[in-house]
Amino acid sequence: MKKSYLYTILAILLGVLLYNSVYFEKLSKRNSQKNAKFDFNTFADSLYYNGILKSTQAIEINQLLALTKVNADSAFKTYGNRLGIGESAYFMVNATGKIIEKNEGELKVITQNGTTLIIDTKYIFGNAIRDASGLVKLTDFKTNADFNKVSEALNTVIREKAIPKNLNNIINGNIISVTGAIKLKKGKTKNQILNILPIKISKSEQ
Amino acid sequence: MNKELLKKSQSLIALFLLCLVISVLSDKFLTTNNLWNVLRQISVNICISVGMTLIVLMAGIDLSVGSVLAFTSAVCAGLLKNGIAIQSLDLFIGFTVLGSVLSALIIGLMMGIFNGWVITKFSLPPFVATLAMLTIARGATMLYTQGIPISNLGSSFEFIGSGWLLGIPVPVWISTIMVLIVVFITKKTAFGRYIYAIGGNEKAAFLSGININNIKLAVYGIAGMMAAIGGVLVTSRLNSAQPNAGTSYELDSIAAVVIGGTSLSGGVGTVTGTVIGAVIIGVLNNGLVLLNVSPFWQQVVKGLVILLAVIIDKKSKK
Repeated sequence: MKKSYLYTILAILLGVLLYNSVYFEKLSKRNSQKNAKFDFNTFADSLYYNGILKSTQAIEINQLLALTKVNADSAFKTYGNRLGIGESAYFMVNATGKIIEKNEGELKVITQNGTTLIIDTKYIFGNAIRDASGLVKLTDFKTNADFNKVSEALNTVIREKAIPKNLNNIINGNIISVTGAIKLKKGKTKNQILNILPIKISKSEQ
Repeated sequence: MNKELLKKSQSLIALFLLCLVISVLSDKFLTTNNLWNVLRQISVNICISVGMTLIVLMAGIDLSVGSVLAFTSAVCAGLLKNGIAIQSLDLFIGFTVLGSVLSALIIGLMMGIFNGWVITKFSLPPFVATLAMLTIARGATMLYTQGIPISNLGSSFEFIGSGWLLGIPVPVWISTIMVLIVVFITKKTAFGRYIYAIGGNEKAAFLSGININNIKLAVYGIAGMMAAIGGVLVTSRLNSAQPNAGTSYELDSIAAVVIGGTSLSGGVGTVTGTVIGAVIIGVLNNGLVLLNVSPFWQQVVKGLVILLAVIIDKKSKK
């Protein structure tokens, strides 16, 4: 009699465990939901035109460099975005300067303070813009690959749609304003080549 | 009497001296954050080492625990994230956190029992049988994951390895409960006494009517399940299953057992000793990192400490 009680309790316990351990779905239904794929191109378009261009806060490049010299920790914490650990961070910066060289794929610009900047206009790749914007989180995506697809689509929008339009009337010697992403390493902000991946370039009236 | 007490507490004294030296050399060692971090890190090794203690007490060894940890970690993450799809039945079986953890524990148990079965059925030396399982499980992990980590497992799963409960990290709770269970088994049950008896003299144990094969199956099974618990903790802490997880964990667990005073020839030792051994290794690792010692030297130092522990064990027997 006692054994039957024991077996009943064990069976109930096993049932409760199983009930809370697994769930069943129709595979076809699940696959159709899964196949309703996330459109990275539409997402990137919206991210660029409605997110990055409208709401990204950018700091003036010379001001940022000055702040990193005074208190790098604070500057990196306040203005930098980074995904993991490490000494590097991405920043969204803006700058105004004169084009001293217009080459295939890049503009060489010198600011009023004498800082030389290289603005990549063709080779816009990597995660710098996505990460510097601070608008997209890894946890919003199922996999790292999906997260990286955002960068891929975003870079394509900027590289193929936005920047070519911006560059239409720009020639050597023009004063331009640029907003874009830059990667800085703590403690190594001096004498670095400052490469900016632009999100927007415009001819300045100055 | 005093000599006996000193002998019993030698690993505790070693731990105390180690803590003293590191705290003098590094002001970061005795901070609350660091100590919680050390405890969180050693929880995995404690779980594995406790299972290993039972095996070593029987004069056995299990070299497969690191690979079993990796495989169960991958299965746990894989089931939680991808479930099981059965095309022919148009059925998808999804797993909750509880389901994936239980599955990992059952698989760990089965792998351990398989080790025990091979050792008892074919009279193979445990070293060889578990070495084979080490390779099998590592290969199976690579096959299952295709060499790619399984990541983003959700915050409720992450709680197991990174959460806090009543001000104490969850992994510390889990490892403490495991230790208490195994201490109870070894001290208060006939099964525990059989383990010591087999380790002390297997032939005598057999002649006194102990079913040696069944005890071995159970002990290797428990060790496999403990490795799986370690696997769940590692996966949850990283929120990701890494195909190369658990590499050389078997050595850390054997080191913890030996440093804790358990004799490799079986029959002598305690689970609490192993816990102290695991803490010594954890503190040593942490101290060497805090003191900026190169990882290559860290391995050398760890090896020397294990060597010293074995020599002391050998000397104390004479």
